[in-house]
Amino acid sequence: MAAEAPGTLSIGRTGRRRTRAVFRPVVLSEAAFAWLLIIPAVVGILLVIVFPLLYSFWMSFADVNLLRATGPAIEIFGIRLPLFRFVGLQNYARTFADPVYWSSLWRTLYFVGAFVLEATLMGLGMALVLHERFAGRPLMRSLLLIPWSLSRVVVGLLWIGILDFEFGVLNGILHRAGLIDGYIAFFKEGFRALNVLVSVYMWNQAPFATLLLLAGMQSIPEEHYMAAAVDGAGYWRRLWYITLPALRPILFLILVLSTVNAFLMLDLIYVLTMGGPAQDTTTISWLGFQTAFSFFKFGPGTAILYTLTALCLLLTFVYHWVVLRRYEAEA
Amino acid sequence: MSRLDRRSFLKGAGMLGASTALAGAGTRPARAADKPINFSGWVFKPDTVKDYVDFFNKKHGGQVKYEAIPWAQYHPTMETRSFAGEVVDVMYCAHNFRERWHENGLLRKVDDLPGMDELKKKMTPANLESLKNKDGSLSSVPYFTSLFILIYNEPMLQQAGIKAPAKTWDELMDHCTKLKKDKVSETPYLPNWNNSPSGTMPQFMSDCFSEGANVFDAKNQVIVDQEPGAARAMERWQKAWKAELVNPEVLTKTSSTDTHRLFWSGRYAYTTTHSYYLKSSAGEPENSKLAPKKAKMAMYPGTGQSYMWTDGYTVNAKSKNLEEAWKLARFLGGNLNGDWYVQRQWCLIAGLDNPYPEMYEHPEIVKSYDNWVDLKLLKTQYTKGKVIAAYKEPWYGEYDTKAIAIVQNIIRGSLTVPQGLKDLAKLQKSLA
Repeated sequence: MAAEAPGTLSIGRTGRRRTRAVFRPVVLSEAAFAWLLIIPAVVGILLVIVFPLLYSFWMSFADVNLLRATGPAIEIFGIRLPLFRFVGLQNYARTFADPVYWSSLWRTLYFVGAFVLEATLMGLGMALVLHERFAGRPLMRSLLLIPWSLSRVVVGLLWIGILDFEFGVLNGILHRAGLIDGYIAFFKEGFRALNVLVSVYMWNQAPFATLLLLAGMQSIPEEHYMAAAVDGAGYWRRLWYITLPALRPILFLILVLSTVNAFLMLDLIYVLTMGGPAQDTTTISWLGFQTAFSFFKFGPGTAILYTLTALCLLLTFVYHWVVLRRYEAEA
Repeated sequence: MSRLDRRSFLKGAGMLGASTALAGAGTRPARAADKPINFSGWVFKPDTVKDYVDFFNKKHGGQVKYEAIPWAQYHPTMETRSFAGEVVDVMYCAHNFRERWHENGLLRKVDDLPGMDELKKKMTPANLESLKNKDGSLSSVPYFTSLFILIYNEPMLQQAGIKAPAKTWDELMDHCTKLKKDKVSETPYLPNWNNSPSGTMPQFMSDCFSEGANVFDAKNQVIVDQEPGAARAMERWQKAWKAELVNPEVLTKTSSTDTHRLFWSGRYAYTTTHSYYLKSSAGEPENSKLAPKKAKMAMYPGTGQSYMWTDGYTVNAKSKNLEEAWKLARFLGGNLNGDWYVQRQWCLIAGLDNPYPEMYEHPEIVKSYDNWVDLKLLKTQYTKGKVIAAYKEPWYGEYDTKAIAIVQNIIRGSLTVPQGLKDLAKLQKSLA
């Protein structure tokens, strides 16, 4: 085998007796070899993520009718993708001129804010409890994951069974316990229904936050707590000055993930309220879904949903600035 | 070792093929179709549909592949598939999506296909009209027809000393008020005010019609703001909501199926819903406390008119096997070879009605309907069924969905009746 220069790798066979043609070794730099290895993944990402993103972004500037796909098109692997009629910013202009969009946006922001706060606090609370030593802790940690592992449609149906005015278990229990005279209609008023959605989603998602925070807590060296205890710090001071600062990267992750998830949450609305009563639980994601798939207005639908993407990106920068700025400076 | 050359292979294969063909001759009931037919529908008793398909494949030599798609995603899914170049030969199509599919060239017109003229003659004129496209052509055969009916809980009315079901809306409100006051029922009235396209708006149209009001004019413009009957209906709805005569969560029910199932509990005195739901309420003791026949139908109050619609089976314009596709469509929505098999089965199994009056003279159907409904009354109700043409307009789908919020706001009193009705007209104008 030929000697290789440092930092190069050779590919190919030489000296085999039966080969008719002689293959010369292809000498690649480390960087080129690395590219060679990641090219399949990059191609996959381009096809599955980047291209659909760009195409859907283009659709937000076009007049899209899936059943009238004539006109200019691009072709990929024999699949024809029409470009539809370009309408400039018209879809965005119409979206911003629609009062329903703005009422849905404020509702979405409330939903996201309430959910992120609830999920983070509940996740932190559960993580703190499960970080302590007590009998049955392994079982509790396992059970914790059940709500998170359930399909959201199942979660919705489960909570209908609990909260329904007519046959809900909760109303039955409260009534039998003599705590209420008449059944509570959780979905009668819009604001109450929205808060029910927040709570149900929190129930479903908080275990994931707990899991991440618990992992973060376990990575904090025990010596920090022992040193703080020697200095006379109580539980709350240890939490404030040791645990929470150490959890900052995890909290950042939780904030970003729960914000994005809350902005995009659709399935629970679909199962529990369909955006009602009236439009009182209509969020931007539901409005975008309805516009695209009920009214078949894919252009305005994607425009609505891209405003969500922009909001998610904006909030991610804000979180980064607020949560991680000092941490990174210290690091 | 003998070698298998090309000539001997072909010879052997030919003999094998011939012997297989000879062995198969006479054992199959009909020649299998050359190409398979794809058939898609929304989820409603998919096992029953599969049985029909198996029956068709066996008896009529078809090669049909059936697929059920959830109702809510059905039409968008079919459009997306069409966009991707997939051809589904025979498809269900709800009445309010048909015009869109027709105008965009997805559907094959069926007027000129064999047997269609005969089917047209057999249909009731109103149903035929509702099946037609805006240009007067026809691109579907009937899957089922239905309309809104009034259903009452007979034992509950008897318990309250009410001798006969309400004939007018005022009477119905009086009955419900009495039932609530006497604590016979906490929420005696169950209107189909759910948040789905088959709920609030068809119910709104039904009640407007029953008050003698039109919802659309001849040019399909919304005119409810000029119709006193529409205002009366909305004032009544507001009154029922305010007096808590109605299930307070009915506005967030996600389907008519979920809504009508509440009636099975026996806690309601009246419900207004799709006609076929009476079959489960009055004819399925395993599900409903009001079966057998404790839930009964009464004529829709007021003028007796209510909203009627007809959904259909359609044939894809790009079908490569039109002959087989049409054969399947006729089997499903008509009387292939003189046999109304599928239409009859839907009546028997699900109480799904169809637009062919002769079906209701069939002894098997008369006997079956007798288990859950007064067939004569149902037929009378159908004579009062009112179809609209507005759903053939391109703006209808968006109007129909966005209008739900306005009507629900009227119900809850967030909007006054005159303002709400004006908003409906304004909404339609903004979309037209």
